[in-house]
Amino acid sequence: MTQTADLKQLAEFSVPAVSVGAAAGVIAGGLAAFVGQPFGWAVATGLGLGVPLMLFGAGYAVLMGTGKIPAGVFAPAAVYWVIAFPLSLLVHSVVTEWVVTGTPGLPPEPWKFLAFRALVSMGFAIGFLWMHEQIGRHWWPHILERNIYARRTVEQYSHLAAALEARKAATGRGRKKRVA
Amino acid sequence: MDVTSKTSEVPEEPAGTAVTEKVWKAGRLEPMPIRKLPDAPPSMHILGPTVFLVALGVGMGESYMWPRLVLVFGPDIRWLFLVGVTLQAFVLLEMARYAMATGESIFFGAARVFKPMMWFFYVAAILIYMWPGHLSAGAAAFEEITGIPWQVTACVALVFVGVLFSLLSVIYNFLEKLLGLLIGLLVVGTSVIAAIVGNWDDLGQTLQGMFAFGFFPEKALSEAWFPIVVGSIAFAGPSGMQQMWYTLQLRDSGAAMGSHIPKIRGLRSADQAESMPSRGFMFDTEDPAEMQKWKGWRKWVTFDALLLFWGITMLVTISFTVLAMSAARTNPDVASLIEGGDRDAALSAMSDAFASAGSPILGTLFFAFIALIGLNATLGLFDSFSRGQADMTYYFVPGAKRFSMSKLYAGFLWGVITFGILILLFGPADGPAGILDILAFLSTFAMGAYCIVLLLVNNKLLPKPIRPGPVRNVIIGFGAVFYLGMLFYSLIRFGVVVS
Repeated sequence: MTQTADLKQLAEFSVPAVSVGAAAGVIAGGLAAFVGQPFGWAVATGLGLGVPLMLFGAGYAVLMGTGKIPAGVFAPAAVYWVIAFPLSLLVHSVVTEWVVTGTPGLPPEPWKFLAFRALVSMGFAIGFLWMHEQIGRHWWPHILERNIYARRTVEQYSHLAAALEARKAATGRGRKKRVA
Repeated sequence: MDVTSKTSEVPEEPAGTAVTEKVWKAGRLEPMPIRKLPDAPPSMHILGPTVFLVALGVGMGESYMWPRLVLVFGPDIRWLFLVGVTLQAFVLLEMARYAMATGESIFFGAARVFKPMMWFFYVAAILIYMWPGHLSAGAAAFEEITGIPWQVTACVALVFVGVLFSLLSVIYNFLEKLLGLLIGLLVVGTSVIAAIVGNWDDLGQTLQGMFAFGFFPEKALSEAWFPIVVGSIAFAGPSGMQQMWYTLQLRDSGAAMGSHIPKIRGLRSADQAESMPSRGFMFDTEDPAEMQKWKGWRKWVTFDALLLFWGITMLVTISFTVLAMSAARTNPDVASLIEGGDRDAALSAMSDAFASAGSPILGTLFFAFIALIGLNATLGLFDSFSRGQADMTYYFVPGAKRFSMSKLYAGFLWGVITFGILILLFGPADGPAGILDILAFLSTFAMGAYCIVLLLVNNKLLPKPIRPGPVRNVIIGFGAVFYLGMLFYSLIRFGVVVS
């Protein structure tokens, strides 16, 4: 596989992770526009938060797709977002400052700023993982044929499918067979 | 009650077959045939039916009542929240024990021990949950954003829920996915808002307050505040009968022995529903392989209870508390409005404070999340209520078996929707003022009562190897004393039920 094709596959595989970041950005920007904020302001807010979260989301998907972290497990997601989430908020803060005052600037007490967001990131990690799985379970089977990363991830979930199959089989047995 | 004889020979279908099978005798009702326990899902992270409990539980208690107490008494009062939610996590695990081992609801279990207990829950559920007042907070928040009168939104939401649930083929699968997505959105959004407007000191104080065990200021013991504090503890996480309904969702999700029970279908597909067995099933607890699978199921539900239920409930209240503290700092009026107890005015002031402090969109975002919480609760509540009543009606109302469980479900769903619309248009949404106290009493009393039911069904109806250990029994026993004790103390000392 050429490098471009590989990148294309990774990008396609990352769609669910990127959508979670996009959702955060769209909510922020969309509501800003909805309540009558200037269009530019709404876009800046949406992008300031959405873009870093989308990029970090893609980073998470790449790590998962390449097998560096297991699919859907909480601890690696928590470790990843404890770094990525505060940095995303830092970018958002700098962009907001830029839009409001005209010059970009760091928030007061940047370390405290980052530490607080690092704690809140636990919550974001749960929500991210949750939504990532909800969207992914529709998206990955859809691109399975042409995407090696999606195939690998679906395979990781396959023993779950096997277990579900066993559950169904057990139900069938339960209805037909009687223990003497 | 014969709970010691493990097996006996009884015909399962007297007419036409002469085959006998192993059964487990539990209580006074029909014995449970022994069936195979399915394998537990190996991936512990796969989301389970706890999503319903989170949708129902994360409501006004988390987003309003506890932030209010923190502003009045300081963050140290939060240790009571920790106790309340932790207790509820244990209740969840014990509810799941009976439902997963038998495929029966906790209502059926109550009837096996003593039928009048089940009838108490049947009547209490109707009295408590037929009023559409729970729609008002979410719909009012929606009104703040869009200007559409809240009664209109509430009526449209009621009809929408009814039509949606009637059209679905299998209701559980759809709702699990929808609520999963909505709660994911709520968690991501709440974290983002809290990260934008909160600060280190607010969070530090809130977290520290969770471990200030024993803190109980004089003012909290007053006539004005004690019933509110008790109500807030009872409403930390799922309240009233929500935990009992969780057993029905577990069954419909096919968890453990629930896989032997057919799923409830929407009205449109009700005729395709498989026939409902007349009781649940039990697995062979003397077979080590079966016990191994049981351990897998317990692990699965424990993960659900800890990370999803406990974790998300904690996260949402911590975030909302941080938000309330930050709003009160920006605008001192917020603190007095919240203390005053006018919920709508307080939420509105909090929204304004966010708009002026962080960025203008935050105020709207805040309302959007209150509306989202309302939507989650409404979807979950209508489904759960109808599920619970249909279950009890099907099994215990004479002649009801003529209708399928799916049709009874639809009947209760449309019944509560029609009544809800009539009340929204012509009556008091929360229920007549004269019975509000009775409803609040019943709701908290039901929580103490289900702790007693849990102790009875899990210790008397289940085979010894899968009964709860002494520590868990003590915790659930503590729950019964805690809910009933505080309820009656409030009633006797102040003459006021919880609020």
